Amino acid sequence: MKSVRECKELKRRAYHIRHDMLKMCVKAGTGHVTSSSSCIELLTALYHGGIMRHDPEKPEWGGRDRLILSKGQASPALYTILSDCGYFPKKDLDKFAQAGGKFGVHLQKSVPGVEITCGSLGHGFGIAAGIALGAKMDRDLFLTFAILGDGECYEGSIWETAMFASHNRLNNLVAIVDRNHLCVTDFTENLISLEPMEDKWRSFGWDVRRINGHSFDEILDSLGGIRNRCSSDPLVIIADTVKGKGIDFMSNVPLWHGIAPGAKDAEEAYVSLSEMCEKCDNCIRKDIRR
Amino acid sequence: MKQITQRDAFWNKIYQLALKNKDIVVVTADMGAPSLDRFRIDLPGQFINVGIAEQNAILVASGLAMTGKRAFVYAIAPFITLRCLEQIRVENSIMNIPITIVGVGAGFGYEDSGPTHHMVEDISVMRAMPNVTINSISDNVMAIYFAEASCKMTNTNYIRLDRQPSPDIYRKGHDFSTGVSRIADGKDGCIIATGRIINNAIEAAKKLNKNRGLNLKIIDIYTLPVNDKALLKEIKGVPWIVTLEENWITGGMGSAVLEALNDNAVCMPVKRMGLAFEKGYSYVYGGRNLIHKSYGIDADGIEKAVCEFL
Repeated sequence: MKSVRECKELKRRAYHIRHDMLKMCVKAGTGHVTSSSSCIELLTALYHGGIMRHDPEKPEWGGRDRLILSKGQASPALYTILSDCGYFPKKDLDKFAQAGGKFGVHLQKSVPGVEITCGSLGHGFGIAAGIALGAKMDRDLFLTFAILGDGECYEGSIWETAMFASHNRLNNLVAIVDRNHLCVTDFTENLISLEPMEDKWRSFGWDVRRINGHSFDEILDSLGGIRNRCSSDPLVIIADTVKGKGIDFMSNVPLWHGIAPGAKDAEEAYVSLSEMCEKCDNCIRKDIRR
Repeated sequence: MKQITQRDAFWNKIYQLALKNKDIVVVTADMGAPSLDRFRIDLPGQFINVGIAEQNAILVASGLAMTGKRAFVYAIAPFITLRCLEQIRVENSIMNIPITIVGVGAGFGYEDSGPTHHMVEDISVMRAMPNVTINSISDNVMAIYFAEASCKMTNTNYIRLDRQPSPDIYRKGHDFSTGVSRIADGKDGCIIATGRIINNAIEAAKKLNKNRGLNLKIIDIYTLPVNDKALLKEIKGVPWIVTLEENWITGGMGSAVLEALNDNAVCMPVKRMGLAFEKGYSYVYGGRNLIHKSYGIDADGIEKAVCEFL
């Protein structure tokens, strides 16, 4: 169990990151805001919660843990966190998906800290398995984390990789399924049922944990001690989340997939999001609504 | 002694190289070869069978390449190119992660297996992507050369291997670095071919010499994109060109030749021979030559086409 103080600090950061992600997409008039919002706590915990070994000064450091964002449409979340960590200047976010910008709507490998170009689903997970296998061959100790969308789990290649990873005992591979329950047009369980997800992954030979993906307590509990795990099976965290978390009117509404709020809606979005503010006495971000 | 196949020549060389270089890994989608049995037994740590899962094969190989491995992905040609085309596009073309894709069964190599196993689109499709080089192998000497060259390439390389034994065309030590080689010299015209079917061109040229007194030049284009400069040098002075391939005429090697000529403002008669869409996919059984005959790309068909063309 993490201390209340640690969790509060992570919540504070998550609010700032979610805010900056929204701001970036509003300015660009595009970006997958809701898909990004569902995995902010997961990414914040990985980067700021002491889970991942990484060095913003040396993005190519060989010993770094690899973060493969297989759901590449959540690039706004990752870009915002990477800039927050110091991988590149925050001002680069202002030009997201605009003329002269360095990155667009889907994930781009050329950005410092980003491992792969991704936008097409069912790719990153297999690459992550290849990296994990390469690490085993070289006896490298870094871990590979793959963030999957739940809608991505409709891709057959995901299950090709799932079988492969457990057979090859890739216990240095951690899959995190951002289970926000929504796909593009509807809830997953209305399309083709993905549940029971735990059973599916378990039957594919994975060590399965299911958590609330917005609770730092649960995220850190599930990933704490990750380097000392005894199992030879790869680990999957099924993180139940809300698509559009923090922005009430955008949450759980399929029509908000893949778009950013316009000027009028943006104001409402910031107000809604401010509910997540920790309202710290010594707030360092004067530019953010409290 | 029984002639070994291109794939055995290729894998024998990779085996020798892998003994000395632990970064060489073979990722197979459950495809074997007599020569790979030895690899699997002697180098189990460098041999990965992903099962019949070509998409995952490309993904895992690309991930391995990201950790510095020299990954060779292997399966029957249509499955390891077309089944996982989008993986190749994103990982190897867009991201330029270098792997070697080894497809066996180019053209009608799986002669009696029907159209699912005939590989007659790969030249058109694979050459449509930047950062992907095609090496269309015509004999064992070339297979061995490109096994070695694959270990040095900085982009993705698609090795198009024949399944059946192919007669030796080149002498040991031939330099294939230009992507274009002259097999026979002549001034009356030129046949350009790729892959094992170049043997039909050789046979047709002999017939045309005997029956018509023509001295034809024969050129092998094995690397695509085409090396324009080398091609133009070779065809200088010949009055016409016939191209020949086991691929749909649309978008194939012949089209690449036309593009090279056009882009360099060279205007000359060119006849492209290959598979015409009107003929459709092949359900002809009883041997590769019968299939070739049905498309008019056997030696007799080529002879006839050249005469009509003239």
